[in-house]
Amino acid sequence: MNKKKKGNILLIGGLSKAKSMAISLLEQGYKVTVINKSYEDCMKLAEIDGLNVMCGDGTKPHILDEANAAECDIAIALTSKDTDNLVACQLCKKQFSVPKTVSLVSDPNKTDFFTQMGVDSVVCAISAITGIIQQQAFIDEMTTIIPAGRGRVQIIEVQIPGESPIAGKKLWEITLPKESIVGCVLRSDTTLIPRGDTRILAGDTLVVITENGQELNTIHALTGR
Amino acid sequence: MKIKKQDTYTVIIGCGRLGANLANTLSDEGENVLIMDENKESFRRLASNFGGLSVVGNGTDLDELRRAEINRATAVVAVTNDDNTNIMIAQIARDVFSVEHVIARLYDPECETVYQKFGIDTICPSALSAKEIDKLLCSIQTKEGE
Repeated sequence: MNKKKKGNILLIGGLSKAKSMAISLLEQGYKVTVINKSYEDCMKLAEIDGLNVMCGDGTKPHILDEANAAECDIAIALTSKDTDNLVACQLCKKQFSVPKTVSLVSDPNKTDFFTQMGVDSVVCAISAITGIIQQQAFIDEMTTIIPAGRGRVQIIEVQIPGESPIAGKKLWEITLPKESIVGCVLRSDTTLIPRGDTRILAGDTLVVITENGQELNTIHALTGR
Repeated sequence: MKIKKQDTYTVIIGCGRLGANLANTLSDEGENVLIMDENKESFRRLASNFGGLSVVGNGTDLDELRRAEINRATAVVAVTNDDNTNIMIAQIARDVFSVEHVIARLYDPECETVYQKFGIDTICPSALSAKEIDKLLCSIQTKEGE
């Protein structure tokens, strides 16, 4: 694996989230620094090999400066307080010119506000978890849904069962919701980029791109369920 | 033209000593005031003749601010005891609800300089006190020099 210099990542706050993310990023070859307010949390984080740990308030300019925020490529705010996450990201962005800032947000209503305030990527744990639980609860396990474009678009991977109304039909014979398109057909070991005259067979796995909210209709149209 | 007092509407977030004091003063001057705090107990700091509204709520919650009609406010003052909360409230007021005058109290003078660059009016008690104390010291020294 290429372990050449891969960029610096700054994690602000969070214990278990920071821990698992730091381990995964270090494995990928990034240089990782963690800032945490609590001395006890810092001691736990310091057990991770190769991780820079700084004890302090990551929403204070001098702490960020000491953590070398100006040198980092991505800053990720993981504290449990939305206010702290916003301030940490804004300071990184405006004071230290960090190219990319990512923030966790606990209030789903604030996702757009954070984006408007200049945070590059906003992750709302509550929305994400609700989405996953709904997906697990209402859709059978043959289907995977991946959100894209800040959740405006969904990429669905769905297997066509034998009893599906579309099995054996050509793509142009199938009626799908207008807001969706079949992007790819996976058939045993081959990958087909479908055209109108591509025939869909039972057992195929389709990769479908659909507008958010249309995924259940689309799955219904494809599988008959 | 001067704005008539009755036409102003000031929203104060945080009913600590500063928030309550300001709310009482504005209310005495006949202004429309709404003060919001998470803790109902804080409102005991308000004067018994306080003529404004007091609302229990989280000042960073968009729905609660909407209910307080913050969009109609002529000024919003964020004076909770947490700097980062005040910064967020100030930015919500300015950028989500388009309030013209937004003032935030920041304890940390270091943050103050950063957020002034962002275009938020900030008040830093320790910087103000330092200035006042310096002024007093200077006047003492000049008196002694006479």
